[in-house]
Amino acid sequence: MKDILTPRERFGMLVIDEKPDRCPVIPLITSHSAKIAGMKLKRYYTNGEKMAKAQIIAFETYHHDGISIFSEVGLIAEAMGSEFTYPDDDLPVLKNPIIQDSLNDRIIIPDPKKTKRLPVYLEAIRYAYKAIGDIVPILAYVPAPFTTGMHLLNPEKFLIATLKNPEEIRMILDIVLETTIKFCYEIINAGALPIIVDPLASGSVISPATYREFALPYEQKLIDYLHRYDFDVILHICGDTTPMMDMLLESNADLISLDQVNMLKAMERLSKKMRLIGNFHTSKIMFSNPEEIYKTAGMMVEQLKFAHKGYIASTGCEVPIYAPKENVQAFINGAKEKGWYWD
Amino acid sequence: MKKKRTIPKKISLEAWSRQFENIPIEVIKRFRYYDNDEWGIYLSPPATFMVYGARELQRLKFDNSFESLRMWGFVFNETERLFRAKQINKKVIATMGDLGTIPVLVFSFPDCVPFYPECLWWTPFFKESTELLDTASRLGLPEATCFSRVVVSAFYKRSYFPKPDLIIASTGASCDDYSCVMQIVESMGYEMMWVEIPYRRSTEFTLTRPRPQDCDKTRDGFIYPKVIEEYLVREYQRVWQRLFKLTGVNNPHRLVETIKKVNRLRNLVEEIKKMNAEAEIAPLPALELMTIEFGNLYGYADFDEWVDIVQGIYDMVKDRVKKGIGVLRKDAIPIAWVTPSADPYLLNLVEDLGCRVVETEYVIRQALTLIEEDIEPLRALARSFINASLIGSTEERVRRIKQKIAQNKIKGVLITNMLGASHCAMETRLIERLLSDVPALSIDVPAPFGINQQIRTRIEAFVETIR
Repeated sequence: MKDILTPRERFGMLVIDEKPDRCPVIPLITSHSAKIAGMKLKRYYTNGEKMAKAQIIAFETYHHDGISIFSEVGLIAEAMGSEFTYPDDDLPVLKNPIIQDSLNDRIIIPDPKKTKRLPVYLEAIRYAYKAIGDIVPILAYVPAPFTTGMHLLNPEKFLIATLKNPEEIRMILDIVLETTIKFCYEIINAGALPIIVDPLASGSVISPATYREFALPYEQKLIDYLHRYDFDVILHICGDTTPMMDMLLESNADLISLDQVNMLKAMERLSKKMRLIGNFHTSKIMFSNPEEIYKTAGMMVEQLKFAHKGYIASTGCEVPIYAPKENVQAFINGAKEKGWYWD
Repeated sequence: MKKKRTIPKKISLEAWSRQFENIPIEVIKRFRYYDNDEWGIYLSPPATFMVYGARELQRLKFDNSFESLRMWGFVFNETERLFRAKQINKKVIATMGDLGTIPVLVFSFPDCVPFYPECLWWTPFFKESTELLDTASRLGLPEATCFSRVVVSAFYKRSYFPKPDLIIASTGASCDDYSCVMQIVESMGYEMMWVEIPYRRSTEFTLTRPRPQDCDKTRDGFIYPKVIEEYLVREYQRVWQRLFKLTGVNNPHRLVETIKKVNRLRNLVEEIKKMNAEAEIAPLPALELMTIEFGNLYGYADFDEWVDIVQGIYDMVKDRVKKGIGVLRKDAIPIAWVTPSADPYLLNLVEDLGCRVVETEYVIRQALTLIEEDIEPLRALARSFINASLIGSTEERVRRIKQKIAQNKIKGVLITNMLGASHCAMETRLIERLLSDVPALSIDVPAPFGINQQIRTRIEAFVETIR
């Protein structure tokens, strides 16, 4: 069937609890867009215009329902002083976390308009918004404080410190929260909807207790801030979040993007309060074939599209950078085909 | 709440965001439509709506008062409000074409929410997008149709308002392009209740002049044959019966009460316009003023909340006038604006170039006219509607403009002409000619994002002429 609504109109319907023509299909096409645009990754994440152009080319290739301004979760930590290397054709790599000795050592609250790659993101948002913001929602992924915290010092040390020096970790996370809010403010004024991503708060990485103590409160505060603006907030957590599924409800997110969980169970437990996003396995996108992907994506959507508060068909995590184009297209086509609500 | 008054000025979207950061969450939560805590909160800055696609907000300037912020938050929330209305089992009723009177009838029935789909004609401009216009073309309404053709796209897309429980479409002596739009909407399978608007046949200029005893006079002094009043009363009786059938409620006393409530709003708006025209410094920008005037049509889908918002603006304007402060330079040149601009940016631009809008003739005169409270209500509605801008001769319309020019020391008239709107194409030139001794400039409002240097230069030259 032919689309009746634009992605922007479709998303607008979803967030007011109305069924659009079909469910939105927003695979997490982030750095993969650079490959679609024939661009080296370093150019993608160090140049806002290039990042936007890659996203626009991906959109024009796939006709999915949202632009994803993102490369990796280290960018706020980098702006706060952590050092990253930029491989020519790979994502930035954490080289030296800013905090080496004392936990409250040297971290700064950066100016998002000037510091490191934060302005790159803002430029990408502005460019994409100006180019196609009338028909597509521009989504900007923002690492939540816990995930950024894990990039401010050695991740292992960070996790040990949550047990040995919890107050100091909270102090760090408070500063990160303030920084993240400032960044969100600039993102909003550039034209994008901030999406909170907290991949390192995954059940695959931390315990439910650590999540409740150190990740959830900061997700909540960030979401509260965005709710002031009357935004419907998306929270994405990678990996297996089954152990903390009930706590996700406490985040107050309006849409929850899930990865390696049983979505039918998630639908049962979360969908009366939250809209669901997910969760096609990204390894299938990478390694399966288009026919299989088309079929299984359609089956997934048929199961989930009547989630009580609404549903966005997506991948559980980012589309792999080198995922075959025809596989990504097959996912999108399969999800669209079975996602129809209107006659 | 005792509000701190800031120095009035026009500010950018980003400046509004900075101000918004200081508003406590308790205040944000206080303002909600349909009294709903979950989704009814509407006090958001322009940036919120920009993120959701209203791109022109990035370059518009807004009044910096809290009251205006509240107004914008409410107005931009309208699409959601209409869907929410339906979700909570209110009846959503599309009133098309008459611009001002049918909603008064609708308000008189419980849980009925009227709205004007034609107000979507601003949407392509706020979004800086041709999407709705292009869709209209694909649906059979080409470029040579008024921007109101976006209504066809909206009915097709079903994402700008919910499927109406009833559509009351007024045709006859109204915009001819819009009549075509309504016909196409009907052809898409929507059931319409058609209402005929009679022509206010001038008694002065026709050979078949009715006898004086067969005529009456509107509030603006137009003489009309009484037969059209009788006709309108009968049409409104039909509408009343249809609404009765829809709701199962028939309480004529509610219409009397509704008229009082509507008059309260119309009085407030009239007072705001008067203060704005008479103050030494303009207390309110033209963009906000236009938005307030159009609120008279149907209260942006929550009439009671809208009245409260306008009351706040009235108090704020009164305070500014009392203190002798405002948003424009003292030497801004007073002009009148004829026919509303589909592109809101034009109102900003005209002020930036040194003008001040002190009078308007936005083809919604019927929504600004007070409704008589001491006669039978349907007749009162008919008599107020007969004052309408578009149902009579251009000469009458111009006479009203000239009266206002004299009252408000207006130095020039700006007429906006909608590309493709055949009514405008016919009438704009006539207005210019009939104004004769008053400097007038007509501007063809181009497609979204189309206001260019040429238009700017023409306005600058006009300002120089009338300074």
